[in-house]
Amino acid sequence: MKLKSFFTLSALTMSAATYAQETTSSTPLQISGSADVYYKYDFSKKPNIGTSFANDQNSVSIGMIDLALKKSTGKASFVGELSFGPRGQYGSIPNGDGEAANANNSFHIQNLYMSYAVTSKLALTAGYMSTFIGYEVIVPTGNFNYSTSYLFTNGPFQNAGIKANYAFSPKIGLMVGLFNDWNAYKDVNGVTHFGAQLTVVPVEGWTAYLNLLTGKAAGTTGTGSIYDLTTSYQVTEKVKIGLNAADYSVTNDNGGYSGAALYLQNAFTPNFSLGLRGEYFKTKDVPDLKGSNVKSVTLTANLKAGGLTFIPEVRFDNGSTARFIKNNLDPTKNASQFSLAAVYAF
Amino acid sequence: MHFKFNYNHEMYQALWPGAFLFLFLLLIISGAFAQEIKEIKELQKDEIGKYIHYEVVPELPVSADSLFFKAKAFFKLKKMDPFAVDSTALEQRGKFVINKTAYVLSHPSGEILYNFRFEIKGERYRFWLTDFSFIPYQRDRYGNFVPAAVKGIPLEKSPGKLNAGEWSAFVSEAGRQSAGLAAEFKAYLSSAAQQAKPLHKTSPLISTKSW
Repeated sequence: MKLKSFFTLSALTMSAATYAQETTSSTPLQISGSADVYYKYDFSKKPNIGTSFANDQNSVSIGMIDLALKKSTGKASFVGELSFGPRGQYGSIPNGDGEAANANNSFHIQNLYMSYAVTSKLALTAGYMSTFIGYEVIVPTGNFNYSTSYLFTNGPFQNAGIKANYAFSPKIGLMVGLFNDWNAYKDVNGVTHFGAQLTVVPVEGWTAYLNLLTGKAAGTTGTGSIYDLTTSYQVTEKVKIGLNAADYSVTNDNGGYSGAALYLQNAFTPNFSLGLRGEYFKTKDVPDLKGSNVKSVTLTANLKAGGLTFIPEVRFDNGSTARFIKNNLDPTKNASQFSLAAVYAF
Repeated sequence: MHFKFNYNHEMYQALWPGAFLFLFLLLIISGAFAQEIKEIKELQKDEIGKYIHYEVVPELPVSADSLFFKAKAFFKLKKMDPFAVDSTALEQRGKFVINKTAYVLSHPSGEILYNFRFEIKGERYRFWLTDFSFIPYQRDRYGNFVPAAVKGIPLEKSPGKLNAGEWSAFVSEAGRQSAGLAAEFKAYLSSAAQQAKPLHKTSPLISTKSW
C-alpha cells in the first residue's frame, strides 16, 4: 500500500511538473516573507508610547513571521499572506469571528485576494487586501522606521472589497472600489465604503497617491471619511523624502484625527542608512472631550547584511496633554524610548 | 460514500514516508541542477574598470542594412528602450530580472539594468553590454515585488563585507544572462528570418476532413 501511494504521489508530482512546463504563461509559485524580533526600552521604565507594535518594555520580544504566496497564470493571479505572532495576530489583523474578546481564533490572514488583468491597463481585484491608505505598512520590511507613526496606528490596516485599477499612462493611474468596514473579514452592514486612489508620477522617482475612503461603519452614528496624501521622492541615489498627510472625520460629532509625517532618509552606503521621521498628530474634539495633539521625532538607522536588517532607533514624543507616565506613575507630556530590531526578509 | 482511507490515520501513515523521501530527492536533484546552470561565463572588466560582455563577429551574415534592421527587430522583441542611435550604431537600455532561488521556490529579488551597444564596421560587427546597475526589489503592501529605488547601484561598486556574497551572485547572474542574451542575439542576426519570432509558437492545424 505504501509503495503504491508513493508511486501515485510521484506520478502526480511529475504530471504537475510537466503541466507547469507546458503552461508557458504560468509563473512559478512565489514564496516570500519576513521575520522580526525586537528589544525596546522606554526611559521612564514604563510602556509608554503607544505604537502599533513593539510595545513590550525591557524585553526581547517577537514580532511576527510573515509568509506570502503569489501565483500568476495568464492574466489571473492570487496573493495570500499569512502572519503569525503578536505583530500579526494581536496587532494588525482581526479575530476570525470578529469578537474582540476571542483572541485565539485568528485566521492569520493579512492579504487574500485575486486579480484579473482585463487589459494591459485595466485590472480587477477582489478579496481582503492591505489598505491603500497611508505611508507605512504592517510588514516591517516595508518600513524604514521600526516603530510606527500615529497616522499609521489610527488609520485602516486592511480593506476587503472589490476594486478596479486603470493606468491612463505610466504617469497617471486611478483606482476605484467598494469596500467593507475597515479591518473586517466580513461586513455585517453591507459593503458600505467607497474608496479611490489617484496615482501621479510627476517626474522619475517621485510618486504621489491621493486617497479617499468614505463610508458608514457598523454600529456608528456617523459617516467616516479619510482623505490621505502619500508621496515619496527619491531625490538622488542616496536621498529620499516622504510625506504622509491625512484628515479623518466622522459626521455627527464622532470626531476623527488629522496629521502629517515627514520622512527624510539618506543612504550613506548601500548597507547603511539613517532616517528621521517627524510627525504631528491631532485628535478632533468630540462632545465633552477636547482634542489633543502629539509631536514625535524618530531617528532610525538601517544596517543591512544580506537579508538581515538591524534597526536601532530612538524616539521622542511630546504631547499637548500629559498623556504619558513617569517611572513613579505621575502623568507627563514627554516620553522617549530606544529599540533595536532585527528583521529578516526572504 | 466510501473513502479508501481513514483520513486522519491511514492516509498519513501510507503517504508521508514515501512522500517525504520523494520530495527530498526532488529537492536534491533540483539543487544539483541549479548548481550546474550556474557554471557561467563571468563578466570581464574594460579599460576603465567597468564590467562588460564584449564580442566581435568577424563577418556579416547579411548586408549591413539588413543586419541593422534585424538588430532593431531583436531589440524590439526584447522590449529594450532605444538609448542612442546613429547611422552605424544602436544603443539600447535593457534589464535582467534576478530571481532569488531556494531549491524549487523563487521570487524576484531585483533587476540589473544594462546598456547594449551594437556597431557595424566594414565586414564585421561588434556589440557589448555594459553600465550594469542593480536595483533591489521589495515586497509592497499587496505582496508584489516592486523596485525599491529608481536609480540602480553600479555593479562595480563594492558592497562591503556584509553583502559581498550576495553581490557576487548578482555579478555572476549578470554574466550568465549577458552570455545568454549575446548568444541569442548572434543567432537571431544569423537566422534567415527577417521578422521577429512570435512570442508563442502556433501549432499547425490538423484537418480531420480529409484523410
